[in-house]
Amino acid sequence: MDFTLTDDQHLLRDTARNLLAKECPVALVRAHIDDRSAADPLWKHLAEWTELGDGPLVGLCLFLEETGAALAPGPFLVTTAMFAGLGIGPGPGTVALSPDVAPVMPFVLDADLVERVAFVLPGPVVAVCDRDGLYLRPVAALDPSRRLFEVPVPADTRGEPLDPAVLQAMLERTYVALAAEMLGTARRLFEMTLAYAKQREQFDHPIGSFQAIQHKLANMALVLERAWSAVYYAAMTIDAGDPERHRAAHVAKASAGEAAKLCAKDGIQIHGGIGFTWEHDLHLYIRRAYGDEHLLGTSAWHHDRLGDLLMPTAP
Amino acid sequence: MQLAWGPEEEAFRAELGRFLDEHAPPEARRKRDFTTADNRDDRIIPTWARDWQAALFDHGWMIPGYPPELGGRNATPVQTLIYMEELATRGIPRSVHFPGYAIVAPSLLEFGTDEQKRLVPAAIRGDTVWCIGMSEPNAGSDLASLSTRAVLDGDRFVVNGQKVWTSYAMIAGKCFCYVRTDRDVPKHKGISVLILDMATPGIDVRPLRNISGSTEFAEVFFTDVEVPRDNLVGALNDGWRITQGSLAHERGGLWVQGVSFVQQAVADLIEMAARRGLDRDPIVRRQLAAYYEQAQGLRALGYKGFSSFAQGSSAPEHSYLKLATSELQKSVFELGMELLGPLGAVTDAELGEQSGRFSHSFFMSFANTIAGGSAEIQRNIIAQRVLGLPRR
Ligand SMILES: Cc1cc2nc3c(=O)[nH]c(=O)nc-3n(C[C@H](O)[C@H](O)[C@H](O)COP(=O)(O)OP(=O)(O)OC[C@H]3O[C@@H](n4cnc5c(N)ncnc54)[C@H](O)[C@@H]3O)c2cc1C
Repeated sequence: MDFTLTDDQHLLRDTARNLLAKECPVALVRAHIDDRSAADPLWKHLAEWTELGDGPLVGLCLFLEETGAALAPGPFLVTTAMFAGLGIGPGPGTVALSPDVAPVMPFVLDADLVERVAFVLPGPVVAVCDRDGLYLRPVAALDPSRRLFEVPVPADTRGEPLDPAVLQAMLERTYVALAAEMLGTARRLFEMTLAYAKQREQFDHPIGSFQAIQHKLANMALVLERAWSAVYYAAMTIDAGDPERHRAAHVAKASAGEAAKLCAKDGIQIHGGIGFTWEHDLHLYIRRAYGDEHLLGTSAWHHDRLGDLLMPTAP
Repeated sequence: MQLAWGPEEEAFRAELGRFLDEHAPPEARRKRDFTTADNRDDRIIPTWARDWQAALFDHGWMIPGYPPELGGRNATPVQTLIYMEELATRGIPRSVHFPGYAIVAPSLLEFGTDEQKRLVPAAIRGDTVWCIGMSEPNAGSDLASLSTRAVLDGDRFVVNGQKVWTSYAMIAGKCFCYVRTDRDVPKHKGISVLILDMATPGIDVRPLRNISGSTEFAEVFFTDVEVPRDNLVGALNDGWRITQGSLAHERGGLWVQGVSFVQQAVADLIEMAARRGLDRDPIVRRQLAAYYEQAQGLRALGYKGFSSFAQGSSAPEHSYLKLATSELQKSVFELGMELLGPLGAVTDAELGEQSGRFSHSFFMSFANTIAGGSAEIQRNIIAQRVLGLPRR
């Protein structure tokens, strides 16, 4: 049992951090709200890293933590976690999950920049379609850094049988991958807040010297550390094919959700009025945190699924 | 990053398992919680527990990281963690009184004279019961404001004052006692540590009943207690340093017990919920799963902290784990009471299937967010030492 990063893993994380610092400043995320093409050059860079989706989940998570911290728009997550997880050939692609198969994602994420869309339909079966020729209806959402679409299944679509075990494994790795992105977002919220608490003065002292503020930050640090550990533990169980992985995946997404929500709420509280402005970047991260919380199952939903594994009697 | 332990570690676990299978007394098995209602033993340290601690020592299984003459086998940090894990999973305690082996022994090894170091084996084996005299009526979290005085008079100190909440004082042979030896310097700089023989004239121990009704701690009064100068641990007025160190060998794995304890409590709750048909209630299911999630996250966090500890880095995870585990324990036991409905507050063994187990554990769990650095103090430590926020 070892949680220390290898040299290669450190290198991967640093590379991702540097790449995103350069190619995905928060100004790009803002520009992307009004003009979606603003993020197209970023996707060209990230597309060079999509083969991480075919390697160990731990490595992918390290990269995704950084895309989450940068609020990177684009189909990197769906391609590497979801599409690659189905083992249906080359991407970039996204996955349209029928609510009858898994009621966690009624919309299709980032369908506009991919080449293929995999429809997972009751059976389960999977049908891979070229994105060109599909009708995409953009869905307005709380988090403008992600793009959601309604994509109707084309009339004559017939799928190939999909091994339910493959489907389950794809979902589990996607929960963990998304949780890794959420860790990055939550970490950034925490870092911004910690820095602000040290710098902002009231009553002749930095607000970070007030115990009420200190204890909030201590709680944020704790849930963040706990979630980080839960996510990488889950990634390790999946990489090892360990029987714990089914529970661990739900633990990871729920834990990351709790951390992201706490860092969002206490983050804005500690920022005071400035955090409530459109001008300040904080809300971009809060939007992402809550957008992700509602993507692929809320924390409560994952607790319920975990409950089903722990207490096999159906309610 | 790697999930599994190596084959050598697993061999170590197997060897420990064979020893435990063979030697652990029945009373020590599945004793999840020494404070549960089914263990209200009038004697604070039952005979079997004394024998068991001695057996662990004699076989080199008491503190595996120590050499054989100190009850160990020179185990590595990873092996020590596996040891903690294995004992915790089996619910087997090492000892029912921790001050001697966990606090006094490492402190004497680090700061004691050669003469004082001779006290260490008996402290670890449990042959000498120790108590720790830190807290006083006016010095709790703010330990440095303690006022029990020791005045040097030739080759002896004369001690006057009072300690409180002193666990095991009524059965202890010795006390590891923090005293004020200089009142004219800033408070952290005038503290020293003395070894007191509890049979010395002038020591008056008055047992205090704790919240459960049993007596495990006491008030201790000192009136002109004479202590040989040789019983000074470390340098005069350098006692504050001694509060900071201790347990270096085991620090990386101490969280295991607390986390395993809370995980076991969640498992017990799930079992109880099933027995009472409450596992069909969606609210109960969600709450139990949420506690399971938190406990599992803490276990992973413990391993993460241990990974950096084993590599020689200091790990702030220790404070996170102490804080989160103690708070989660309270919540879990409170839920246990809640699930028992009208029986939640009944302790009659004839009526409640759990005979007050959860209420008792809930009450006992109040101690963990108070003793040994309260939850608030832990948050202060995290904020100031880990996050670097300014003190006021
Ligand atoms: C079961 C048990 C066994 C014990 N055994 C021993 C023993 O063997 N030897 C020994 O010496 N002591 C022992 N203690 C005492 C224990 O160490 C103290 O209770 C502890 O240090 C807290 O001190 P206090 O009780 O005086 O509370 P206080 O320090 O008065 O604290 C009261 C409240 O104020 C809060 N508070 C205090 N300071 C701050 C601050 N700076 N910021 C925010 N909040 C603050 C605390 O968190 C707490 O909520 C034991 C206690 C218990 C419960």
